[in-house]
Amino acid sequence: MRVRKRAGNPVNAVIGIVTALALCAGAWLLASGSEGHPPPQPSAAQARAGGGHEAPAAASLAPSPPDRIRIPSIRVDAPLTGLGLTRSGSLDVPPPERKNLAGWYEAGTTPGETGTAVVAGHVDNAVGPAVFYDLGALTRGRTIEVDRRDGSVAVFTVDSVEVYDAKSFPDEKVYGAAARPELRVITCGGPYSRRTGYQGNVVVFAHLTGSR
Amino acid sequence: MRTGRPLIAAAFAVAVAGFAAAPVAAAQGGLEVYPATATPGSTVSVDTTACGAQGTAAGDASAVGAGAFTLAPEADSPDAAGRFAVPASAQPGTYEIVARCSGGTEVTGDLIVSLGVAGAPGAQMPKGHVKTGVGGALGPDPVQTAAGVAALAVAAAGGTWLLHRRARGDGI
Repeated sequence: MRVRKRAGNPVNAVIGIVTALALCAGAWLLASGSEGHPPPQPSAAQARAGGGHEAPAAASLAPSPPDRIRIPSIRVDAPLTGLGLTRSGSLDVPPPERKNLAGWYEAGTTPGETGTAVVAGHVDNAVGPAVFYDLGALTRGRTIEVDRRDGSVAVFTVDSVEVYDAKSFPDEKVYGAAARPELRVITCGGPYSRRTGYQGNVVVFAHLTGSR
Repeated sequence: MRTGRPLIAAAFAVAVAGFAAAPVAAAQGGLEVYPATATPGSTVSVDTTACGAQGTAAGDASAVGAGAFTLAPEADSPDAAGRFAVPASAQPGTYEIVARCSGGTEVTGDLIVSLGVAGAPGAQMPKGHVKTGVGGALGPDPVQTAAGVAALAVAAAGGTWLLHRRARGDGI
């Protein structure tokens, strides 16, 4: 009888520990999961720097429409659809129900040619996080790759990550012409209110630093 | 006169599509064309849920002169999606885009070709902020909630087992 009791003890102890851990983990998961997580926002350190220690710009590529965008550091790998303008003149957005779809402004510059190419995607949709949920966590010096229809890959390096309020959106800075190949990647950001939604945009500024 | 021809072609395509689709069960959803208004030379994406998960479809954009294309299943979504290029020579008008699922269901969507937006050099600059979020990420996370429920189920099973052993007098 004593022998059996001793043999049973370690098994019971293990089951007891597992039970206790599962109880704690379950309680924590349910408590924190019901709150939801606001998307990450860029810190002031990622804003436009005064001094230029940017990576040197690469020569521009011939125009070619983009098919895909990849941002390895925040695990983005998404197809791109063409975007137009809304009636009010703002950039249209991809269909929100396709959470991994981003878009580019197809009447504008193609990514890799001289000028400002614009890519936009959702931070979330009605169900949860979407393609650019982590865009605000992107940092200066990271790379963004764009697969182009002509088979080339345009490689951009992030210059800054900014948040702009919708009421004072700097159109010229974000969409304005550039003398070298540049890229903007835009998603929703800033403070969120249940009534008006996200009150601004996270905008990533990048320039072409290579291709392959 | 110039815009008349594509409209007639489109009307014809609608008639043909309607005739061909008649014996097939009514498709749910339809064919989403994105952007619904496109310029000549641009790329258009189409998307449908009518083919079911892992369904493929044969796309037909010959009304606008783009010919046949393929709709393949999309990862993490029940959609089949494809794309085609609007020919640079396309005239303004409304065109019917057709997709036939491998299962036989047929769906259609309209594409409007417009010359309204110029090409890259003189293109109109977008203005204002972009509406790319609704706050859905701030709600409960379904994956985390499911994981929490699973963990509690494990705890319940473990607790039951231990009580059972104790009742049998096996000692804890």
